[in-house]
Formats: sequence, C-alpha cells, structure tokens
Amino acid sequence: MEGSAEITPRELFERLVTRGESPALLDVRNADEFAAWRIEGRRPLDQLNVPYFAFIDEPEVSAARVAQAGDAWIAVCAKGDSSAFVAGILREHGTDAVNLVGGMQAWGDLHVPVRVAAAGRFELWQVDRYGKGCLSYVVLAGGQAVVVDASRHLDVYETFLRERGAALVRVLDTHVHADHLSGGAELARRAGAPYHVAAGPGFTLGKAVKPLGDGTALRLGGRGGVAIEIGLIAAPGHTPGSTCYLVDGRWLLSGDTLFVNGIGRPDLGGHVEAWGRALFHTLHQGPLSRLPDEVVILPAHFASPAELDGEGVVERRLGDLRATAPELRLPTEAAFVDAMRGAVKSPPEVYQKIIAANLASGSVTEEEASEWELGKNQCAAAVPAAPRG
Amino acid sequence: MEKVLDARGLKCPMPIFKAKKELETLGPDDVLKVLATDKGSVLDMQGWAKTNKHVSLIKQETTSEEGGRTVYIHYLSRLA
Repeated sequence: MEGSAEITPRELFERLVTRGESPALLDVRNADEFAAWRIEGRRPLDQLNVPYFAFIDEPEVSAARVAQAGDAWIAVCAKGDSSAFVAGILREHGTDAVNLVGGMQAWGDLHVPVRVAAAGRFELWQVDRYGKGCLSYVVLAGGQAVVVDASRHLDVYETFLRERGAALVRVLDTHVHADHLSGGAELARRAGAPYHVAAGPGFTLGKAVKPLGDGTALRLGGRGGVAIEIGLIAAPGHTPGSTCYLVDGRWLLSGDTLFVNGIGRPDLGGHVEAWGRALFHTLHQGPLSRLPDEVVILPAHFASPAELDGEGVVERRLGDLRATAPELRLPTEAAFVDAMRGAVKSPPEVYQKIIAANLASGSVTEEEASEWELGKNQCAAAVPAAPRG
Repeated sequence: MEKVLDARGLKCPMPIFKAKKELETLGPDDVLKVLATDKGSVLDMQGWAKTNKHVSLIKQETTSEEGGRTVYIHYLSRLA
C-alpha cells in the first residue's frame, strides 16, 4: 500500500469539512457506541459498523464483507487501537485501509480555529471543537486577547495566542457548562488574568472569579489605536447565571441561550418551569430582545454540520433567527413554558458530574475528564413543531 | 475449573483477543475469568457475547484494587 496507514483527526477534518469529501468510514466500536455518537461530515457519509471483535472471531469473513462494501476505508474506534488492528487485517487482505489516530476520543478533542471577522488589528476567532459540537472564542485587539468558553485543552488557546503575540487579559465563560469541562479558570490562572463566570442564585461557585455585573462594558486593546468593547448581557434561562457577551456591538457570543437554529434547553437543572419562565423573559423582554436584527449570533454549540456556513463558521443574523425559530415565536410565557416542558428529555447522567466539577475549585483526572466528555453535546431545546394558533 | 486471564493494563482489542484464545483451550464446563482495566471492555464483552454464538458472558463485576485502579471482571464460558 502506498502512503501512510494513518490519518490524524485534523487531516480527517480537512477532508470532511474543509473539502466536503465523503470517504467511507469503518467504525469498529460496538453497536451501542456507534449508535450514540459517530463522525459526521458536511455530506452524508457511508459508514459501516463492524465491531472489532468480528475481526478477531472471523478475520476472513469480516474482511471480505468490508471489501465487498468498498475498496478504501478509514477505520475508527474509541481510542484508535482496535481500529489499527482492523486496518492491518484489511490491508493484509488487499483492501486499502487507514486508521484514525486516537479514535473518537481524539476526534472529540480536535479544536480548529476559524476566523469570523477581521478589521485592522481586531480579530474574532471561533474555535470549533467539531466532534463534540462545542464552540469557544478568541477576541484579539491591539495585542490583547479575551478567551470565551475555553475548553480544558488549554494548549489550544495558549499556542494560538503565542503564535499571534497576544497577551491574554481576561477569560470569560457564558455559563456553567454541563456537557464539557471548562478550562476557563485554569487558563486565566496560568496567564495571571481575571476569570469571570456567573453561576446564578442557588449555586455555590468554588472557583476564584472576578464578579462583573449585568451591563458592564469591558474594554479590550488600546495599543495602536485599536480598542473594542465587550458588553455583558445577563440572560438567565438555560442556567440562572447565563451571560451573553456582545463584541463591538455586533457579534453576540450567545453561549447556550441562542443557537443558529434555536435556543438552549432550560431543563438541564431539573427546574424546567422556573428556568423556562426566566428564559422567556430573557428572550422576549430583556436586553437580548432589544438587540438589532443585524447582530450576528455566535453560539457555544452546534448540533449538526449543516449549521456551518461556507467558510466553516457557525453564525447567523439575529433577525434571521427571530424570523424562523419556533421557540422565539411562542407568544406567551405559558405557551413557551408548555413547549419547554414538552421538550424535556433526560440529559446524560454524566452532566451532573460535569456541572459539579465546573462549579468546584478542584480538578478532575485526565482519564475521568476524557471519559465524561465522550459524545456530542445535548444542550439545545428540541421543540419539534411550530406553535399552534 | 475456573481459569484466570489477567488482561489488566492491556488496551483493546487485546482483552477479547486473548480471551478468545484462552476459551479455545477450555472445556464446556470451564469458566474463564478475565480481569481488565479498560472500561470499554464492559460493553465490548457484551457485544462480543451477543454476536459470537460460541461465547457466553455469565456475569460482569467491577472491583477496585489497591491504589484505586478499577478492575472490570468478566466471567465467560464456551458454548459448543
């Protein structure tokens, strides 16, 4: 066989997302894991699920079955070892196969920075943790940087900033995340920068934060005449402390409050009534409701690769969301809370552990963190149909 | 007879790879007790027993060894 017998997550991302290819994937995890979380591309993918133990039991039969379905494969498993074993068997049987290095774990840890906007020395970057559908942000102005919703993979942000010679001056989280561990407090500590997150009433935050009030305007930059403002907008609902950050009056880092195709679910805390009412007020009566239609939403998650635009950015004009999202068109608080109640579904059990860890001051082991973070985020409210009447 | 296969510290596919080889040496009334530290082995052993009609998964247990490492124990037998 020519070339490498491996493909890295970044190389796979380039093929699936940047170039929009649809290579054949052979997922060798067990059927339950495959059903729960799999690789997605911009285009529908040919995926075959043949667990690796079928290649231990009957290598000839399994290899023949795969060869019959296609002549070139990327093998995928949980951590990249079983898929390497399977790819080797396939190659021995004359079928072209490469192994995804690090498997789904590494796929879920891949972060790809994509530039959203640049004007002079102001830049806004979206850091796409594609496999999990998690988005974080870096705002750069005049040599200073603010990071919003950092994951625990601090090297991603530290390398990015070092390459641009930018100094990290502040770290912000939009809320206490339930689906992934925040790296915000630790990133801030390592840079000697202040960290801010609001847990909201009813929660005790064990992390050292610099409290900032609703309506605060943070100034970033200044050197070389470039300075921009980041405004805080309290947006209780998805969590009681949820905060949106309005960058330069135009880009809304909306956390899990607004997504490009809907809104964040208010039921993760088990209080769908109270948090649902708060969310209705945030969306219909609070400062978010008064933002101009031209504001661009930059959320903390996406649910499907279809939400990426041609440049690979997940963004949407607020006016377009207002015109189409059924959740934003429910006219009364009662109808809204009803719809949210109807959309309640049990979150993954591990979310309680992640919330607790994100509130606490301590850290969790790498092994635990990796295990907790497996899978795609489930933070969006799934309201199935348009409102009646 | 109960035979113990120590697959602690081994990553997949090795626990199942070795378990299959061991099972082939056992009689129908013997039990193979597999010790593994890879958490993925729990679901994988279940999936394996479901798809391989010669393998029976009798039960699974989780224990903690000294030092805090979690050990997943799988009891297997061979079906004719």
